[in-house]
Amino acid sequence: MMEPVDEIVFGDNQFFGINHMSAERAQQQAERFRDLSAITEVYRHALDAGIRAVLLNTNERADAICDWFRAHKSTLPAISWYPSIPYPHKYANLIAEKGMLATLRDVLLQGTGASGAIGMMTKGGLSLLTRDEIRAMQMLIDIEMRTFRGLDVKVIFLQNIVTDLMLGLGAVRIFEEYCNWIRRTYGVTPGLLTQNLPRLLSLLSEAGIEDVVVCSSFNQIGYLMSPDVESYVEAARRNDPQRCQIMAMSTLASGAIPPREAYDFINRQNVQSVVFGASSARNIRETVSLIDLRYGRAALKQSAAVSPERRYDAPGRLARDSS
Amino acid sequence: MSIRIGIVGAGRMGLTHLAILNTDPRVEISSVADTSRTVLDVLSRHVKCRTFRDFGRLVDEDRPDALVVCTPPTLHENVLRAALERGIHVFCEKPFTVSARLAHELADAFESAGLVNQVGYVNRFNDVFMHVRELLDAGILGRVQRYRTEMASATVTRPQNGSDGGWRGTHETGGGVTYEMASHAIDLVNFFLEPPRRVVGTVMSHVYSRTVEDIVSTTLLHDDGCTGTLFVDWCNRTVRKPANRIELAGEKGRLTADQYSVRIWLEEAQPDLDLHEGWNTRHVTDVFRPVPFYVRGNEFTRQLRHFVDNVEGNRSNGHCTFRMGAETHDVIESMFEDGRRNGGMR
Repeated sequence: MMEPVDEIVFGDNQFFGINHMSAERAQQQAERFRDLSAITEVYRHALDAGIRAVLLNTNERADAICDWFRAHKSTLPAISWYPSIPYPHKYANLIAEKGMLATLRDVLLQGTGASGAIGMMTKGGLSLLTRDEIRAMQMLIDIEMRTFRGLDVKVIFLQNIVTDLMLGLGAVRIFEEYCNWIRRTYGVTPGLLTQNLPRLLSLLSEAGIEDVVVCSSFNQIGYLMSPDVESYVEAARRNDPQRCQIMAMSTLASGAIPPREAYDFINRQNVQSVVFGASSARNIRETVSLIDLRYGRAALKQSAAVSPERRYDAPGRLARDSS
Repeated sequence: MSIRIGIVGAGRMGLTHLAILNTDPRVEISSVADTSRTVLDVLSRHVKCRTFRDFGRLVDEDRPDALVVCTPPTLHENVLRAALERGIHVFCEKPFTVSARLAHELADAFESAGLVNQVGYVNRFNDVFMHVRELLDAGILGRVQRYRTEMASATVTRPQNGSDGGWRGTHETGGGVTYEMASHAIDLVNFFLEPPRRVVGTVMSHVYSRTVEDIVSTTLLHDDGCTGTLFVDWCNRTVRKPANRIELAGEKGRLTADQYSVRIWLEEAQPDLDLHEGWNTRHVTDVFRPVPFYVRGNEFTRQLRHFVDNVEGNRSNGHCTFRMGAETHDVIESMFEDGRRNGGMR
């Protein structure tokens, strides 16, 4: 029996100049959210609207945002965190410049904080490490997860460009190892972001991977949904949320669908959660009022035996483990 | 019977293509070649296929029906010739050669051998650009008289030490913003219009790179009197991903398009195309067509499905052929020549 995910999760694309439809709009957003206070004000609106869950990608602003939440922890309600790792654009240019293996070595070297003589030794170790992709992945996860130390993490999502690449390759073992590492090291539920929900659900089911959350674009026009909207609806309908919960993202298809229409559709699907981003108190309140996942969450029997304290202070060490 | 495909070069593009092709039920990825043993070892633990450190052995021992070539550009010629000799269809990443003469020669050879040949100019498979092409074919702008094409990316964002490493460091090996980025902007012009025949006023300049240009600009002249300007800058940190933008002005209206939307202004309404007089905006969400599998963008999947369609149907005259790639190389070489006439790198 899985721990139920939050019904509504507050996303972050709106803060970072990410808009799939307009570069101009993206620029306006980037300017508006130049100051951290503009971002945290929006988070306050989300909290005021009753949202208690945040999905945050480890982009360049994530550290500052998490610092703020840590600093204000005592004055804020309890929040469940849904990190998504890694931030692909951070690595994409490095890879273009240096190639994959050199990038991996650099990131690991930087991330492990090695320098001087230790650095030289570590470098040798690192070239060995790049041959052990599972160990390299585990270290990358730990480097990325430092951003969220001290926060109450509920699900750790693997970003969709990585998930979908592995999905295409059919690299089942990578998914197994990812899920194992997340459970074992962080004591939380592994999550996978994807633009290919039906295919991913089939792979997970065939591989017997359970107790995961899958987050995918879900909207009635089929935007960023491969192969098509019908297959999504059917795959969700057949999915057992006791084994794998579905979180919908891009529900408004970058603004192409009016909110009421979008959630009339989503509310009828077998999805257990929605992640959305908005920048104004009014839009946040309106969206919250429109989301009603009673249908999709009916199968989730709320279990009392879940959710102990899930804090951890450093990657690889849960607070409850060290006590 | 599956179409057996070999991948030559398992870098970032090679792996992307591998992941996409692996989801095509018509395809079996039979082999991968790469010079890195580490890459091959990792890959062979997760993907069922034969691996080779030498593409020559791949083509001889595995005998694939088709190759997807993602090596550095100067290696393309040898791989393509080996494929040609053995009657293997080829999808080749751009730029597919570093010489226009060679590009045309390979186009001739693949055409006469009746082999499928495609270059990875992915913009031709972008939802919005495909829609623009349909609108232009429907004649909404009338004759296009002038245009402006731009491309920006955050590829080189800090000073490069020494020579710019590896094959990216010289024109001879396919490096520099003209080969790597402007080629996409030129190909987009060639997708919408007849290719330009001459360029003037080419300027190539350094920002961070030492041995190749970071910014290129030029004026393109077409036989029918149409003229356009091109500006490509890969040191632009304001963009998250490489971004193309093209503005076309014709007798009956104008339009501006990027990968995500097209804004159209028309003198007269075109009711059959649902276009009003004056301004019309269409977003990618209005015009996209879903693809069977998504990684990095619909266009990446669509270009490979097109390739496999052609291999299956044995059609050597698809979209984005070697010939079209060669036409882009004609323009690139004219730009290099014109840039030298104008005093070389600045």
